[in-house]
Amino acid sequence: MSDYVALDGLTLAYGKTVAVEGLDLSIAKGELITLLGPSGCGKSTTMRAIAGLMTPSAGRIVIDGRDVTRLPPSKREVGLVFQSYALFPHLTVYENVAFGLRLKSAPDLDAKVRDGLATVGLSDFAQRAPRDLSGGQQQRVALARSLVMEPKVLLLDEPLSNLDARLRLEMRMELQRVQKETGITMVFVTHDQAEALALADRIVLMRDGAIEQTGTPEEIYSAPVSGFAADFVGFETILPDGAGGGLAWRPGAVVLGSGPNEGKVRGTAFAGERREYILESPLGTIKADTPAGAAPLEIGQSVAFDLPRERAAHLARLD
Amino acid sequence: MFEDKRTGLALALPAAVFAAALFLLPVGILLSEGFRNADGWSLAPYVEFFASGRNRVVFLRTLKLAALVAGVSAVIGYATAFAIVSLPPASRGRVFALVTLPLMISPVARTYAWLVILGRTGFVNQMLVGSGLLDTPLRLLFTETAVFIGLLQLFLPLMIISLVSAMENMPRDAVPAARVLGANWFQVFARVILPLTREGLVVGGTLVFTGSMTAYITPAILGGAKVLMLETLLYQRVTVANDFASASVIAMILMVMAFSANLLLKRLATARRAR
Repeated sequence: MSDYVALDGLTLAYGKTVAVEGLDLSIAKGELITLLGPSGCGKSTTMRAIAGLMTPSAGRIVIDGRDVTRLPPSKREVGLVFQSYALFPHLTVYENVAFGLRLKSAPDLDAKVRDGLATVGLSDFAQRAPRDLSGGQQQRVALARSLVMEPKVLLLDEPLSNLDARLRLEMRMELQRVQKETGITMVFVTHDQAEALALADRIVLMRDGAIEQTGTPEEIYSAPVSGFAADFVGFETILPDGAGGGLAWRPGAVVLGSGPNEGKVRGTAFAGERREYILESPLGTIKADTPAGAAPLEIGQSVAFDLPRERAAHLARLD
Repeated sequence: MFEDKRTGLALALPAAVFAAALFLLPVGILLSEGFRNADGWSLAPYVEFFASGRNRVVFLRTLKLAALVAGVSAVIGYATAFAIVSLPPASRGRVFALVTLPLMISPVARTYAWLVILGRTGFVNQMLVGSGLLDTPLRLLFTETAVFIGLLQLFLPLMIISLVSAMENMPRDAVPAARVLGANWFQVFARVILPLTREGLVVGGTLVFTGSMTAYITPAILGGAKVLMLETLLYQRVTVANDFASASVIAMILMVMAFSANLLLKRLATARRAR
């Protein structure tokens, strides 16, 4: 079997509420995959199921050729980094990292813990308490704690969303470095498309408990398959193509000031390098922007615009 | 808080005088009864008390039942508290209210309910005899088991409440994190839940232990004169025998046991953390 991790017809439910239905996904060894989607799309639930924290109501989970569907989390050899870090407050940083190793009486425990702390640059913090560390440092301890177990798959649940913007970028690069160095298979859950695009080998875009689209970051960014997928990666003007599908433009692709169509400016916002506009037109709502240096348009003003076909994404479905 | 220490002292003075005059002094006088005999100061009442085999039985029974109730309520309490904090917040409130409901019912009423259940013609015996399992009804009342059941029901809510609030303060994902790191449920409990809820266990344990030890109504109704505990013995010494020396000795024993239990539990909690 070439798939390292395979989800096969996975259905997950909380009581009567179905969170994920009939999900199929295969992940190659060493791949960094992101599950991307808005909150409530089932991405975190899927990840918890891979970790064994939730029992599927149907379907199978296979990791490295072994059916783990019915195995408890402790027998799955997966790592999980939580959004809340979930460090153990009663243990030192060292003991947090050593936690899993002690449970399986790992040989060379001390060397492994020190190695793990060095990997995340926290060697000097071994004897500190978690609460004395910053959010970014705590996140790194959580990462080290999972990595020293040498899991087959490392799952990360929105690991960067509690960090400020600058730390987020730093941690993102750190994750990429660790993944390159260790060659570990990673499943990264996020609702932030920029994060997904920057990190992933492959993006799985989820919607309402099912996969909407799977592809490389380039494919997801430039060739969305549906109105939902297009909207999620920044195509803000989405119009029907008259044949059941749709056409979508990013704000920068809409030409303002010339063209065969006419619209009325309904809203405007200054966004630093660009100025954004919302136009009302017979075609529908158009979102466009211009370089900030261009002469601003007034609200209520009529303006000609063009939607160039060659810059549109062709959507198989409009919804 | 106060610029002048004396301001604080002055403010605390009325309460201190009140407590000293109306609590500490009477308690002191009462307890001093136990250190006197006809000739003056003496430890004779203590020697006499423990010389009696019947008293020793009551003393050990009280200790045993209180410890048993505390231990069993800790086991049930952990399971219940974990179930409660695992519920979604909406239903958590409802279940928690159910747990606290018995606390709002008079202990006399609650204990009399056990008479109805455990009596000779009570619910349990009717079931056992009616179904043909037994020919004659069991004697359930006026046994240590009856007192144990009554005390457990009385004090279990205090343990559950203490443990629930301790568990609510645990980091949200600590338990799943431990499970993914390879811990089975026993290890999750021993290495994560127990150390993180120790304070709650100390509070709950002290409340349940001292509560069981000093309860009067439950042992009086369910144990009667057959299964005396220190508290019922104390009452008997005072009202039946007019023996204030023994009563004072018992009061002192109860107080010392309560303080020791609290100190011991606290010691256990901090000793384990220091490792």
